[in-house]
Amino acid sequence: MLVVVCVKQVPDTTQVQIDPVTNTLIREGVPFIVNPYDTHAVEEALRFKDRFGCRVAAISMGPPNAEATLRKALAQGVDRAVLLSDRSFGGADTLATSKVLAAAIEKLAKEEEVGVVICGKQTIDGDTAQVGPGIATRLNFSQLTLVDRVDELDLSGKKIRVSRKLEGRHEHVEAPLPVLLTVVRELNRPRYPTVAMRLESADAQVEVWDNKVLQLDVNGIGLKGSPTWVSRIFSPERAKGEMLGDGAHDPEGAAQLLIDKMLEKDLLAL
Amino acid sequence: MTDAVKPPKKPRGKARLLENKCIACGARCQSACPVDAIQMNDAGEPIIDASRCIGCVKCVKVCPVQAIEMAFTPEELRILQELAASSAGAELSEEDAEEAALKKKLAAYSGVWVFVEQTEGEAAKVSWELLGKGKELAQARKCPLCAVVMGEGVEKLCDQAFGYGAEKVYLMDAPVLRHYRTEAYQKSLCALVEKYKPEVILMGATGLGRDLAGVVATVLATGLTADCTGLSIDDKGNLMQTRPAFGGNIMATIVCDKFRPQMSTVRPHVMPMPEFDPQAKGEIVREPVPVVEDQVLVKVLDILMDGGGSKVDIAGAEFIVSGGRGMMAKENFAMLQELADVLGGVVGASRSAVDAGWMPPDRQVGQTGKTVRPKVYIACGISGAIQHLVGMQDSDVVIAINRDAEAPIFEVASYGIVGDLFKIIPALTNKLRALKAARSKA
Amino acid sequence: MMPQTAIFTTLLVASLLFFCWSVYRRFSLLCYGQPEERLDQPARRLAEMFLYAFAQLRVLRKPFGLNHFVIFWSFMILALANGEFLVNGVFPSVSLALLPEGVHRALLLAFDAVSLLTLFAIAFSFIRRLVVKPPHLDSLYVKGRSPEAFLILSFIALLMLAYFGLHGSLIALGMEDPSAMPVSSLVGSWLSSHPDLIPALRNVSWWLHAFVLFAFICFLPHSKHMHILTAIPNCYFGALAWPATQPREKFEKGAVYGVGTVERFTWKDLFDSFTCTECGRCQAACPATITGKALNPRQIVHAIKTNLLENGDALREGRSGTLPLIGAEGEGTNTEDAIWSCTTCGACMEACPVLIEQMPKIVKMRRHLVETESRFPEELLNLFENMEQRSNPWGIAPGERAKWVSTLPVKPFVAGETEYLLYVGCAGSFDSRAKQVTVALATVLNAAGISWGILGKDEKCCGDSLRRLGNEYLFEKMALENVELFRQRGVTKVITLCPHCLTTLKNDYRQYGLELEVVHQSELIADLIRSGRIKLDKKDDSLGKIAYHDPCYLGRHNDIFEAPRTLVQAATGVAPVETERHGRNSFCCGAGGGRMWMEEFTGERVNHARVDELLAQKPDTICVACPYCMTMMEDGLKDKGAGQVRVRDVVEVLAEGLLRKNA
Repeated sequence: MLVVVCVKQVPDTTQVQIDPVTNTLIREGVPFIVNPYDTHAVEEALRFKDRFGCRVAAISMGPPNAEATLRKALAQGVDRAVLLSDRSFGGADTLATSKVLAAAIEKLAKEEEVGVVICGKQTIDGDTAQVGPGIATRLNFSQLTLVDRVDELDLSGKKIRVSRKLEGRHEHVEAPLPVLLTVVRELNRPRYPTVAMRLESADAQVEVWDNKVLQLDVNGIGLKGSPTWVSRIFSPERAKGEMLGDGAHDPEGAAQLLIDKMLEKDLLAL
Repeated sequence: MTDAVKPPKKPRGKARLLENKCIACGARCQSACPVDAIQMNDAGEPIIDASRCIGCVKCVKVCPVQAIEMAFTPEELRILQELAASSAGAELSEEDAEEAALKKKLAAYSGVWVFVEQTEGEAAKVSWELLGKGKELAQARKCPLCAVVMGEGVEKLCDQAFGYGAEKVYLMDAPVLRHYRTEAYQKSLCALVEKYKPEVILMGATGLGRDLAGVVATVLATGLTADCTGLSIDDKGNLMQTRPAFGGNIMATIVCDKFRPQMSTVRPHVMPMPEFDPQAKGEIVREPVPVVEDQVLVKVLDILMDGGGSKVDIAGAEFIVSGGRGMMAKENFAMLQELADVLGGVVGASRSAVDAGWMPPDRQVGQTGKTVRPKVYIACGISGAIQHLVGMQDSDVVIAINRDAEAPIFEVASYGIVGDLFKIIPALTNKLRALKAARSKA
Repeated sequence: MMPQTAIFTTLLVASLLFFCWSVYRRFSLLCYGQPEERLDQPARRLAEMFLYAFAQLRVLRKPFGLNHFVIFWSFMILALANGEFLVNGVFPSVSLALLPEGVHRALLLAFDAVSLLTLFAIAFSFIRRLVVKPPHLDSLYVKGRSPEAFLILSFIALLMLAYFGLHGSLIALGMEDPSAMPVSSLVGSWLSSHPDLIPALRNVSWWLHAFVLFAFICFLPHSKHMHILTAIPNCYFGALAWPATQPREKFEKGAVYGVGTVERFTWKDLFDSFTCTECGRCQAACPATITGKALNPRQIVHAIKTNLLENGDALREGRSGTLPLIGAEGEGTNTEDAIWSCTTCGACMEACPVLIEQMPKIVKMRRHLVETESRFPEELLNLFENMEQRSNPWGIAPGERAKWVSTLPVKPFVAGETEYLLYVGCAGSFDSRAKQVTVALATVLNAAGISWGILGKDEKCCGDSLRRLGNEYLFEKMALENVELFRQRGVTKVITLCPHCLTTLKNDYRQYGLELEVVHQSELIADLIRSGRIKLDKKDDSLGKIAYHDPCYLGRHNDIFEAPRTLVQAATGVAPVETERHGRNSFCCGAGGGRMWMEEFTGERVNHARVDELLAQKPDTICVACPYCMTMMEDGLKDKGAGQVRVRDVVEVLAEGLLRKNA
C-alpha cells in the first residue's frame, strides 16, 4: 500500500514584515520553508511506514525550486518524491490545486494502491484548509479533517479510527479506506533527519511531472481553472500596543477599559 | 519599423514589473501570459521578456497588487496622445457576446444562504452572526436571506434562524444527519443548491464548516474563499470577500465573478451578532434527505466535550491566562483559573512559575515549553524574557498586566495595564462575570 | 645458583611476563581507536610534559597535591633502589656499591630519606581517605572503588617498611655502613637490643620487599595505578590546540558521525581513559555533578575504559562490542542523561592533573546521538529548526536583527571605511536585556572614537550552541556561510559582545581557514582605558559592592580574566570582590554547551548554586560579561528572592561611568 503526503513550500510568513513607511509587504529575504502542518503529515506517514512497512510518496505542486521541500521529506524518510510543476499549474486557487494533486495521486495509484493520503490541516500562507477536502472529493476517498490522533489503522479490515479536534470537542470517528486525513500539530512530533539521510536525500531523485505527464485540460487548472481570483491586496490596520488606564491607582477603571477594548474588538466569546 | 509612417496603429506597450510591489502570489502573471514572455525567478517574482511581450495586458489585469504596468517608449506615448486627441482608438470589444452569456448564466442564481452549523442540536454562534451579515448582503442584492438547517430533530433551530433574520429555512431532518459526516451533509447540501440555486452560501470557518465547504465547492466546481473577515457586494453584484493571508500580514479581497454560488467560510467572532427577534416568522421548506445510512460508511463513535478531563491542552486553547513569577505563590493561580473559566480558556505559566512548582510542566509556555497561538493571551506578572516571548508572540492579541512599566512584555502587548495584578485580575473577573450574566439574561 | 636466587629469578621473570602480557593486552586496544595527530611540535610537548608530569603543576594546585608530589618524586628516586634490588636479586654480585663511593653514599642517603618521606605521605593519604574525607572522595562511586586505592597504598607502605627492615638488619649485622642511612641505622640500633630477631627479620624483609614488588608489577596494569605508565606520555600527548574547539567531521555518504561505540573514540581518548587515576578533581569541579545531575566527568572517562576492556575481545575479533557505550545505566555505559547534562564549561579539563580531555568526549557522544540517532532532549528540536531556518535560537525573523539600532546612529560595516566589525550576536540583537548591553557597548565605542560597523540583517548566528550540542552538520553549514560572508565583506577585525561568539569566531572558524582578529568587548575597552583613550575621572559608586562572575567561555576557554575586572575598576575605582571559585576555577552559570536551550529536571539548578555563592559576598551588583550569564544570574536572583541585587554587564558599568562623567 502507498501512503501519499501532500506538502507545500511556503514563504515563512512569520518573517514577513510591513514597511512602516509605505505600509507594504517587505518580502526581501523571506525564506521558503516547508509548510509546518505538512511536516506533521510527513511524520504520520512515516510512522505508518515504520509500523506497517508501507511505502510513502510525497507530492508537491509548485515552482521548480519547491524541490527543496520534497528533498526535506526525502531526508526524513519518504520513498518517493514527485514535484508537480508546470506553467499551466500556476496561479491556481484551491479548486484548481486540488485537481492537479488529485490527478497526480490517481497516477501514482495506477502503480500501487493508495490507501491513505495525508495533508496538513492548512498552509500558513493561504490558511484555507480547502485543498485537502478538494482532493478527497475528487478521489472519492473518505475524508477526516483535523486529525489529532490516529487510534487504529486496520489494513486488512481496510478501516481507520481517529480522533478529530474540533472547537471545544473531540470526535472519535471510524472510516473505511481509502481515506484522506488532514492533520493538526498536536498529532505528533516530527522526526529530525539524521545526517546520513540528509546526505542520501541530497542526490535522491525528485521526479518532476508537468502537464505532459498529467494530461489535464488546461482550462481546468492553474489560473484558468480557478473560479476565485484576488482582486486586491492591502495591508491590514496594525494595532499598536496601547497602555490602558492607570492600573496602579485605579485597577477597577483599568479593568473596565480592557473589557471595553475586548468588546470593541470582539475578542470575548461570552 | 515601417508601421510608424503608416496610418498610426495603437501602440500596446510592454509589460514591466514595478519594484518592490510583487508579493509572489503564485505565478498568476506567468500563467496569464499567452506568449510565454514571463519566467519566474527563485523568489517567485516574474522576469518579463520584453522582446516576446505583445502588450496584451493580461498579466497587468491578473496581478492582485498592481505590480505590473505597461511601459511605452516616448515615441509610443506620442502616438498614444495623438490617438487620444483624435479619439480614433475606440475599439469594439469582441468579448461582449461572451459577457452576455455569462450574465445569463449567473442570473439563474439568487438568494443568500447561511448554513446553520449544529452539534447535538446546539447551533454554533457563528451561524447567527452570519445571518446578520447575510441580511446586509441580501438587501444589497435585493434577494431573500435563507438558512439551511440539517440534522435530526433540529426543527427548533428554524425558529431561532427566523429570529436572527432568515426569511426562509431549508430544513433537512433525518436520522442519517444526526452527526455531521462529510459525505451525508455534502450530498444533502449539494442537492439543495442544485435545486434552488443560491448565489451566495456562507458558513462558519469552523472545523465543521471548513470540512463541508471545501467538499461542496469541489462538487459544485465553484469558488470558495476561506476564513473571511469582511464581506460586501461590489457594483457588479459580486461578493467581495476579504480575508487575511500570509499569516495575517496582508489582507486580500477575493472575487468569484464567473461562477455561482459564491461560497465563503467566515471567521467566528468577527461579524456582529444580530438582534434576536422572537416574534419573527418565516417559511420552512422541508426537503427530503437524498442519502440513506447504508451509503454513509463513516461512523462517529463518540463526541467528547473538552474541559471535562484533567488534561489541559494549552497549545490548542483560544484563551490563555498565563502567570509568571509576579504571581508570588501557588495559591494565587486560583485567581487566574477563575478568569480563565469566565473567558472559556485555560491557565498557562512561564518557566519560573513552573520551576517554582506553582504549575505543572505541561502548562509551560516558551522556548523550552509549548508554543501557543491563542486568540487572546493574558500575561499576568510575566516580565517577558525572550524565552517566554518566542512561545506566545504569535497570539492574535496579547494583554499584559505587570507592576513594572519597563517590563519587555509590554513591547509585544496589544494592550497593557501597569499595576497590581492582585487587584486588577479580580476586578476583571468580576466585571466579566457580570457581563456574562447580563448577556445570558438578554 | 643459590636456591634463593633461583626462586627470585623465576618469580621476577614470571611477574615481568605477566606484566608485559597485561600491558600488551591493554595497550594493543589503542589501535582500535581512530587516528589523531598528537606528535607534532615535540618541543612544546616536552615543555608541557615537564610542567605537568614532572613539575606536577596541576597536582600542586590543591594543597593535598604536595603529598602526591612527594610520593611521585620518591617513586622516581626509589625506582633506582628497586631496580638495584631486582638486579641484585638475580645477579647478587651486581649492586650500586659498584659506583664510586661518594655517589653510592649520596644515593643511599637519598633512598633512606625519601623512603621515610613516602611513609609519612602514605600515612597522610590513609588519614585523608579514612578520617577527613573531602566530599568527592565520599561518593558512593568512590567507595565502591576504594579497596583498590587502599591496596596500592598498603603496597607502597609495605615496600618502605620492608626497606627499613632489610637495611636496619643489615646495619645491625654490620653488613652495611650506617653513616649514609640515618633512618635505617635508627632501626638497626633498635634491633641491636634483639639480636635473635635480626637474621629472621632480614630474610622476611627481603622476601616481603620482593613479593610486594612482584605483586605490584602484576597488579599495576590492572589498576588505576596504570597512570604510573601513562600519565607522563599523556601530558606529552595533551591537546595543544584550543580544547574547547571540537574537530571537524567529514560529511560524505557512508561516513559515521560522532562516537556511538568505544572504538569510534580516537586512540588519545582511549589513552586518556587508561590515564585516569580517579582522583576526582574533575567531578569536584563539575557544575553538573555538584548540582546532582546524572553527569560525572570521572565516570565518563572510567566508563570508556571499562567499555573498551569489556569489548576488547570482540574488537580483536573484528566484531563490535556487546556492551553499549551509550545506554541504560551500568558499568561501562554512559547514560544519555549524563551526556546532555554537560555545560561544556571546561572545569573538568582545567582540574585534571594529567591533562585528560573529558568534555570533548561528551560532545563526541552528543554528535552520535544527534547526527546518527536523531535522539536528543525534546526542547532542542525547536532550537535546531530555528537555527536552520532563521539563524537564531529563538526563531525570530532575521529582519529584526538590527532593531536595537533604532536609538543610535550605527554604520554598516564596509571594509576600508570601518575598522572593526561589531558582531552583535543573537542575544545582543534580539534579547531585550542584552540589547541594552549592545547599546552600552556602542556608546562606549563611539565615545572612544573607534571606527566600527555592523552587518545588520545579514548577520547570522555563529552556531556555537549547535557545535557544543553535537549538531556538527548544521554548525558546519552555518560556519561555511559565515566564513564566506566575512570573506566577501573583507572582515579582518571583529569585536564580539558574547564570549560564545568570541570563541566560535576566533577558535572554531580557524578550522575553515578564516583567521580573524577577534576581541571581546572587554579586552578592547580595557586596552582603550590603558592607552588613555577612555578616561573616567569621576568614580561611580552607585552600583555599590560589585561581585564579578567569570564567564567560562571568556575566562577558562579564552584566558580573559583581567580585562573585565579592569573595566569595573576603571568605572568604580574599586576592584570587584571575588567569589571562592573565580578566574580559572570559576563556576558555570549553567547555560553553556547548549544547556541554555534545555530544561533542568534533576537536582539543584546550576544558576541557583552560582547565585548562592555570589550572594555570600553580599554584593549590591553582580557583574557579568556574557549574555547567557546575564540571563542565568537575573533568573537565579529572582528565584532566590534577591531581586534587589542588580546584574550588569561590565560594559554597562563603564558606559554608566562615562555618562556620569559627561553629565
